[in-house]
Amino acid sequence: MTLLDFARGPALTFAMAVFVLGVLWRLISLLGLPWASDKTARRIGAPSDVKAAITGFVRHMWVPKAMGQTSTFAMINGYIFHLGLAIIVFGFAQHILVLQGLFGVHWPGLPTSVISVAAIVTLASLVAALVRRVTSPVMRLISTVNDYFTWAITTAPVLTGLLAVSHLGARYETLLAIHMLTIAALLIWFPFGKLMHAFLVFLTRAETGISYGRRGVKI
Amino acid sequence: MSETGTIGEALIAQGISRRSLLKYTGYLASILALPPMASRAMADALASAKRQSVIWLSFQECTGCTESLTRSFNPTIEDMIFNLISLDYQETLMASAGTAAEGAMQAARTANKGKYVLVVDGSVSTGAGGVYSTNAGKSNLETLKEVAADAMAVLSVGTCAAFGGIPMAKPNPTGAVPVSEIITDKPVINISGCPPIPEAIAGTVAYIITFGKLPDLDHLNRPKAFFGDSIHDRCYRRPFYDKGQFAKSFDDEGARNGWCLYEVGCKGPVTYNACATLKWNGGVSFPIQSGHGCLGCSEPGFWDRGGFYKPLSAAVMGNREIIGGAAVAGVAAGAASVALARKRRAAALAAQAAASAAVVTQEKTP
Amino acid sequence: MNGDVGRTGMAQSILREISLALSVLAATGTRDAIDLRSLPLTLADREELEAALGRGDVGVVLEAAGKSEIWETRFTGVWWLRHFGGDGRVAAEVIEVTPVPDILSAHPEDISAAATRMAAELEEREHV
Repeated sequence: MTLLDFARGPALTFAMAVFVLGVLWRLISLLGLPWASDKTARRIGAPSDVKAAITGFVRHMWVPKAMGQTSTFAMINGYIFHLGLAIIVFGFAQHILVLQGLFGVHWPGLPTSVISVAAIVTLASLVAALVRRVTSPVMRLISTVNDYFTWAITTAPVLTGLLAVSHLGARYETLLAIHMLTIAALLIWFPFGKLMHAFLVFLTRAETGISYGRRGVKI
Repeated sequence: MSETGTIGEALIAQGISRRSLLKYTGYLASILALPPMASRAMADALASAKRQSVIWLSFQECTGCTESLTRSFNPTIEDMIFNLISLDYQETLMASAGTAAEGAMQAARTANKGKYVLVVDGSVSTGAGGVYSTNAGKSNLETLKEVAADAMAVLSVGTCAAFGGIPMAKPNPTGAVPVSEIITDKPVINISGCPPIPEAIAGTVAYIITFGKLPDLDHLNRPKAFFGDSIHDRCYRRPFYDKGQFAKSFDDEGARNGWCLYEVGCKGPVTYNACATLKWNGGVSFPIQSGHGCLGCSEPGFWDRGGFYKPLSAAVMGNREIIGGAAVAGVAAGAASVALARKRRAAALAAQAAASAAVVTQEKTP
Repeated sequence: MNGDVGRTGMAQSILREISLALSVLAATGTRDAIDLRSLPLTLADREELEAALGRGDVGVVLEAAGKSEIWETRFTGVWWLRHFGGDGRVAAEVIEVTPVPDILSAHPEDISAAATRMAAELEEREHV
């Protein structure tokens, strides 16, 4: 069995299984936890929980100017690489084929040149995020191994994918296999590390929104 | 039978002028990607070289490889290869049969000990001592070991000889293995393909005779001159791949426009062969030009790679049962965690209630 | 469907290469050759190249291991060699920058073989 056969077959199957198992396990155990009831009195004129949750989610999509320029940079940079990743994952014809194989739906892809530009911008943005993390004393203080590892495991597929598309460094089949293995690593790590925010972001922002709405905190 | 004279003498004897040889070496230089000016030196080298004794053994195969090499019936430039070699044994082509044929092989082996090139097409059956494929009362396994012992080099022609091929496909009932697994003490050159490109077979043999050494080989022991580039790299449909224009089926708009066949399973990006440049049937076409994706027939294991029409980027074992099982396990693990948390909470609440009850009781009994 | 997408500019590059090789031949006598088969030429490129080079003084049809057409282009010293394989398709195609292509000159060994053969034939005729 070649490295590519291993990556396309057992490695991705195992990774997908771990991903599904881990995500369901974490979400169900989190949502099924007994909730402590909020004993505080609802302020007069407080919005409904649903409205507060939505407001919370929307208002957290940008940071107020008052929080300073570095926060604005982090936010914009965050948007850039998240958007870049979405373009790569959902716009590249080869990736659409993977999703089509899994979910049966497909849509037209973007030209490879567009994807390459998106990938380079994404990579630069990810590097900028890391630079900020290691240069800012506060960020460094609150960063854990989890953060750095999650960064690496997000960056690796972008880098290896770019190398595979441009045939740099090794033969295409080797590069493609390495790229697929980095995806497998990402899927395995996903439920247990910071990547889980892709699901949890909805819960945390909604919960914060409800709590603030009830007490009348401005957000 | 091998002749003792040089190729130059043999050509003169047959009334073939040096011009033919020069034309052939020019053609060889082109397919071997050598500088065109090398053709004269190659012609001189060939003229003074002896005809190369070749013994050709066919094992578990379909004769497609022999067909590929001998497909032409007109005396043409490509047939010049047969003036360079002395094909001393080839079961499909030779006129003699039975003991006379076996005798011819023995004679060639003795006369050219250590100097002949052994060409093998077909995989070697090793199951049950090799009884699945025999000839003249001997298993292929036995014949290969015996004949390879005195050979200068072994040429595994075709994917069966090179990598096991179709006979080795799961569940491999005959225990088929590639030649390189049996012959480990000699150079084994793989000229893979199902069948291999005739120019690749002839070009490699001609290279050995002309330069008296083996050509540069890749990591799978294939001559780099023919297996150095992927089909994808030299494909004329590559611009469509780069633009993201793909045929979605074999009869849609994209297919009619000649767009890239990646999405209908083309294995060109991971297949190394010269189909896109040398092409087939004397340069007429090759599979992709005829509208079908590359099957990857010159690569090991192409027969067991999960479907010719499955795109390369799609996972091949994205098994629904396994993912479904994982989902069930995930839900179960989540439910168990929830149950455990609720049980702990209930226990903690009960303990708290008991403790406060105890305090009340204590207060009541001074 | 043959993948031809019109002119790619390859013919212009080859013409420049030939021009350089021809200057070198004129100055130093060093010969050169360009293998057309290994270059990614479209049908249109090939036609453009052939039209640009044109035909000169010499045209030869050679019958040796199949047919070949050889002609000197309108630039003296630039020769086009087209070798046909089976079924009349082009098996090899080279542009040689040389006073005369090697393949046209008779080889000394062929000459001596021919001399022997001719003498033998005359001898045989005398005996008859």
